[in-house]
Amino acid sequence: MSSAETNGERKKNSYHFDRHTPEYRHQFETVTAELVGKCPIAWSDTYEGHWVAAGHKEVFELARSAEYLSNDHDVNNQRKGYKGISIPAPKGTTIQGGFLEMDPPEQRHYRQALNPYLSPAAINRWTPVVDELVRACLDEKIATGRIDFVDDLANVVPAVLTLAMLGVPLKNWSIYCDAVHASVYTPPDSPDMVRVNEGRRAMYMDMFGQLAQIRANPRPGMIDALIRADINGKAPEDMELLGVIALLIGGGFDTTTALTAHALEWLSEHPQERARLSSDRDTLLDSATEEFLRFYTPAPGDGRTISADCVIAGQEFKEGERVWLSWAMSNRDPAVFANPNEVDLARTGNRHHSFGLGLHRCIGSNLARMVFKRMLTAVLDRMPDYQCDPAGAVHYQTIGVIQGMQHLPATFTPGPRTGDGLDDTIARMQAICDEQRLAEPVTVRKASARIAEA
Amino acid sequence: MKVHVDPERCQGHTLCSMIAPEVFQLDEVDGHSTAVIDGDIPAELEAKVIDAIRSCPEQAIS
Repeated sequence: MSSAETNGERKKNSYHFDRHTPEYRHQFETVTAELVGKCPIAWSDTYEGHWVAAGHKEVFELARSAEYLSNDHDVNNQRKGYKGISIPAPKGTTIQGGFLEMDPPEQRHYRQALNPYLSPAAINRWTPVVDELVRACLDEKIATGRIDFVDDLANVVPAVLTLAMLGVPLKNWSIYCDAVHASVYTPPDSPDMVRVNEGRRAMYMDMFGQLAQIRANPRPGMIDALIRADINGKAPEDMELLGVIALLIGGGFDTTTALTAHALEWLSEHPQERARLSSDRDTLLDSATEEFLRFYTPAPGDGRTISADCVIAGQEFKEGERVWLSWAMSNRDPAVFANPNEVDLARTGNRHHSFGLGLHRCIGSNLARMVFKRMLTAVLDRMPDYQCDPAGAVHYQTIGVIQGMQHLPATFTPGPRTGDGLDDTIARMQAICDEQRLAEPVTVRKASARIAEA
Repeated sequence: MKVHVDPERCQGHTLCSMIAPEVFQLDEVDGHSTAVIDGDIPAELEAKVIDAIRSCPEQAIS
């Protein structure tokens, strides 16, 4: 057979797949049912051609085949020229996307340096700080009866906490917050891109400044761990570290915001389920969290490059080909999830792929779950009758990168404030971080944060 | 029944310990799971352990 015939046979399951179009968002369940049902691994002609894996079993087998898959983004063309985890790769990128765009052993060394900051035991220490930040966000709005759950809560808490864990001053959160969210939801051809790019520049400037300061005068946090890390026998250079810090910030901000907003919106539309979740939270909160993760899959997928000719899940791949692993579509596979397009807060056996799979499993998954649960339960406690305003809700136009929301306004019966406002609380949390050295790894500091009575 | 977590497959998703904390303990540093009951799983925990096995995204528990 000629190579053209072989390719025709290899690529006989073809499907025009473009996840960056608004149509994909609007037709997500239809497209997903077609791909999962008829061609769980398909060839798409979009973006210079790539594979798309949508079936649960196929995504599972691919994601776990580390010997044949590469995450490498070879921005300086020093290795094989692979393009990392975005399809298409962003134009003109000069910075690798942290260890998510690396392969072992470097990838493993970075994770080993950061695990003691992000393990369940490490994350639990931060719960009292998160509760204070959430309380302050709600107190800012509780007397007015109006809140935007994205702008006033779900954007704020993950951002402030991520900076605290990095060792960056908490009050800088606004430099980072809008820059991160806007760069995800703003289409590349938007006139607003000028402002977005200015925000990104300001963020990278601050990041670079923090890196230099912490190098000169060490203070606890993940940036300090990165500076000290031994990455395959070398100390990493600043450009590489900026990519890693940007990964932690990008991963820590927009995803948890997206999950929280979607869950709050769904619960507003299903008040009986909201009441059930609130009253039965001891038994339902964990499963409901996993179900919202499955259903809304904030990070909908990841690209990979095939690093050697291989056959995986019955499909023949050639070295250099690109593959899109769709966590979002595999999370709707009826072979694994009964009634996949329904939210079932008590779902069991929920093997969702929302944090990815294999050696690149989201390193912040424990943080995401904790912050989500504390935000959600605080809203259920203090604004139990909240009603989202569908006319004011703004979803991201496309779901190619993050399935997020820009705004989610709501009204509720006003209640009394219980403490100080956000700025004062952030200043107090900064003092507690400094005094108690909260950003140390769990190997150094095991105790939970202590919040003095205000 | 007996239960074992394959340390080569476990990636620290933590669902097992959420579902059956009596049986699965997470490492303090990397959050990876081990089964703390060597012998037979007590009858009252079997259903939870089966749910944990079904829920593991990496299928690392047997």
